[in-house]
Amino acid sequence: MSGAALAPAQCYFEDVEKGVPLETPGITLTEAHVSLFAGVTGDAALRDPGAVPDLLPLCLSSGLGWRVPRPPLAVLAFMGFEWRLLGPVRVGDTIHSVSRTLTKRSMREGGVIIEERRIVNQRGETVQSGKLTLLVARRPAA
Amino acid sequence: MLSLRSVNGHDGVFFEDLEIGQEFTSPGRTVTEADIVIFAGLSGDYNVLHTDAEHMKSSIFGERIAHGLLGLSIEQGLASRGEPAAAHGVLSALKWKFKGPIKIGDTVHVLSRIAGKRDGPDAGRGLVTVERRLVNQRGEVVQEGETEHVVERRKP
Repeated sequence: MSGAALAPAQCYFEDVEKGVPLETPGITLTEAHVSLFAGVTGDAALRDPGAVPDLLPLCLSSGLGWRVPRPPLAVLAFMGFEWRLLGPVRVGDTIHSVSRTLTKRSMREGGVIIEERRIVNQRGETVQSGKLTLLVARRPAA
Repeated sequence: MLSLRSVNGHDGVFFEDLEIGQEFTSPGRTVTEADIVIFAGLSGDYNVLHTDAEHMKSSIFGERIAHGLLGLSIEQGLASRGEPAAAHGVLSALKWKFKGPIKIGDTVHVLSRIAGKRDGPDAGRGLVTVERRLVNQRGEVVQEGETEHVVERRKP
């Protein structure tokens, strides 16, 4: 393919190293995040003012994962995850995520990785954590 | 309509009122391009799967698809409109599978079923497990899983 050398760098299945911790920069949770998220989800539940919706930290961590010193992971599909909510997250908290690959399994289309991810607040407390299963592309033949 | 929920955030449904096997159906919602654009902006997840229409023409999906977590977030919102507050309240854990794509224009709704009840973190609260399926307009289950909620018991 012409112009391949100019294609944006990606982290392919072959490039993923097991056990290497990857820590993202932080993001401060604001009322704006909560309002935008409520608009997208349409969640009608009344919540304690200042509370952050349960799934918002996980959603933000997927974007934080693009801001680490590694090219973006060539994710073909997010297959599933298990998640635990361990502590409160509130507007004004600054969260970041810490992740590492636990297992790699090669498949015909690509490879499946299981990633452990923790959401950590400004006091170093893990507020949410779990395991994510991702289908990642193989490096295209040169 | 003035309801108990609009006054104090509680609709009068407690742990004791939820029974294993109870089922709920949510309203439907059509997922739009705007939903995907807003979610990309909010989350910062600009994966080409969700943002590059030209690239996706040659993919197995043929077009952009919604973020998996957008589908789950919409699922949570729909559930809040189709269930007693207790059944989708304080989330303590979830297990979730993304089974198929949600494409622009698809209309999804949630089918949920109370699957389990057990003692909670203290005497005043129990844990309720809810099985949930996100279903599209063709009846295909695009996402499914189990969520666990901390639910208040009725005061003695």
